[in-house]
Amino acid sequence: MQFSFIEAMKEILASSGFAALAEDPRSLIMILISFVLLYLGIGKKFEPLLLVPIAFGILLANFPLTGMLNAPADGSSPGMLWVFYQGVEHAIYPSLIFLGIGAMTDFGPLIARPSSLLLGAAAQLGIFSAFLLALALGFPGAVAAAIGVIGGADGPTAILVASRLASDYLPAIAIAAYSYMALIPMIQPPLMRLLTTKKEREVKMEQLRPVSKTEKIVFPIAVATVVILLIPDTAPLIGMLMLGNLLRECGVTERLSDTAQNALCNIVTIFLGLSVGCKAVADTFLTWDTIKIILLGLIAFCFSTIGGLIFGKIMYKLSGGKVNPLIGSAGVSAVPMAARVSQVEGQKANPANFLLMHAMGPNVAGVIGSAVAAGFLLKVFGA
Amino acid sequence: MVQDPLSLLDALMVAMSGFIIVFIMLALLWGIIIVISRAVAGVERRPASAAASAPVPEAARMAAPAPAAAVPPAAPQVVLEGISETEAACVMAIVSHETGIPIDQLVFKSIKAV
Repeated sequence: MQFSFIEAMKEILASSGFAALAEDPRSLIMILISFVLLYLGIGKKFEPLLLVPIAFGILLANFPLTGMLNAPADGSSPGMLWVFYQGVEHAIYPSLIFLGIGAMTDFGPLIARPSSLLLGAAAQLGIFSAFLLALALGFPGAVAAAIGVIGGADGPTAILVASRLASDYLPAIAIAAYSYMALIPMIQPPLMRLLTTKKEREVKMEQLRPVSKTEKIVFPIAVATVVILLIPDTAPLIGMLMLGNLLRECGVTERLSDTAQNALCNIVTIFLGLSVGCKAVADTFLTWDTIKIILLGLIAFCFSTIGGLIFGKIMYKLSGGKVNPLIGSAGVSAVPMAARVSQVEGQKANPANFLLMHAMGPNVAGVIGSAVAAGFLLKVFGA
Repeated sequence: MVQDPLSLLDALMVAMSGFIIVFIMLALLWGIIIVISRAVAGVERRPASAAASAPVPEAARMAAPAPAAAVPPAAPQVVLEGISETEAACVMAIVSHETGIPIDQLVFKSIKAV
């Protein structure tokens, strides 16, 4: 048998990923989409910590012939990305991210003004509005519920619900959730100015009372106990959120709190991003449904902002003008971005206005609110 | 729990009840926070008032030094012009945060609204 260099090269090329790409150009489109997302993450800084690993996950998942997504079969080893994805499939990564969020969050402003909780509840309007709109567009109930959770402006919650109720739509839902979270400074201000008067935006709020250490320690224990006992499906998210917060506040676990806030959160973010990205394959991603989900996500964010602002206006009236309704829009989770937007808009109306700490109350209430809404939808649509 | 396809009525019921449950749950937490705050305030006030009302032993009273003169303020008074104390405190905190210098190492002479 004679060795032919040309034949060998032809054979290598015929069995390469390039040849496979030529056979199914849809993978090429997905690779191009991953490049666009990488540009948005790196060039435009749209939630880069999540978008960069998600985009790279899409890139890796759409290289043909790698077998990285293969489930174990007949004694063969599973693909690396399949193994990573198990952390999403079994709700491990979103829950661990919530542990980190809990360790980073100061619930002091919420404890000082607990009425902020109602603003966090009102800002979940987007979840249920988008759910109804998704149903109207023909999505099944479980998928509509997962799409609606984008309106909670809470990435890990959206990922957890999507992984349970609509795993084929997970990448579109996660990308929509994180992209709109990055766009909050552009989405919210026009609605804030449209729905509030200058007089309302100028309101200076009274200073918050100091919150004692004991209150901060008892709070996560009480919230975990009550919420999980009432809605057990919230246990992974609320349980980890409150554990993280207890590590932060109890004063004897600084090392654990530090790890949860930094090292653990960063490690899990890498796995979460890659896992979400690896589900974005042409069959399920290159469909009209993806475009519908992206649009529904935007509508959900807008409705959540409107819900918070309307309730903020109600509180303004009920308090005799002591509550600035701008803090209502911070009821969408997106901590602390939404609170910063309230601060910026408040200062535009009145340069002596400092709304940041007041807006942090509804902001962290929104995290709890979206987790409760997610638990409810999992209860209703879960298998 | 819910079967597809959802009727319009079912969909509205799910959305409404979900929204109401979120409100009820967070309103319940509001109540819990108030209970916690009052309980903690009560517990923290008790030892303080107990300590204040406890009789001082005669020996301790004899050993105690004479009351010192009023302690002068550690820092000179800040002159505030057209600005409230709360706003001034915010300005001081922001300056401390932005410069990275602890607030007890900063000296403010005056803060004026411009």
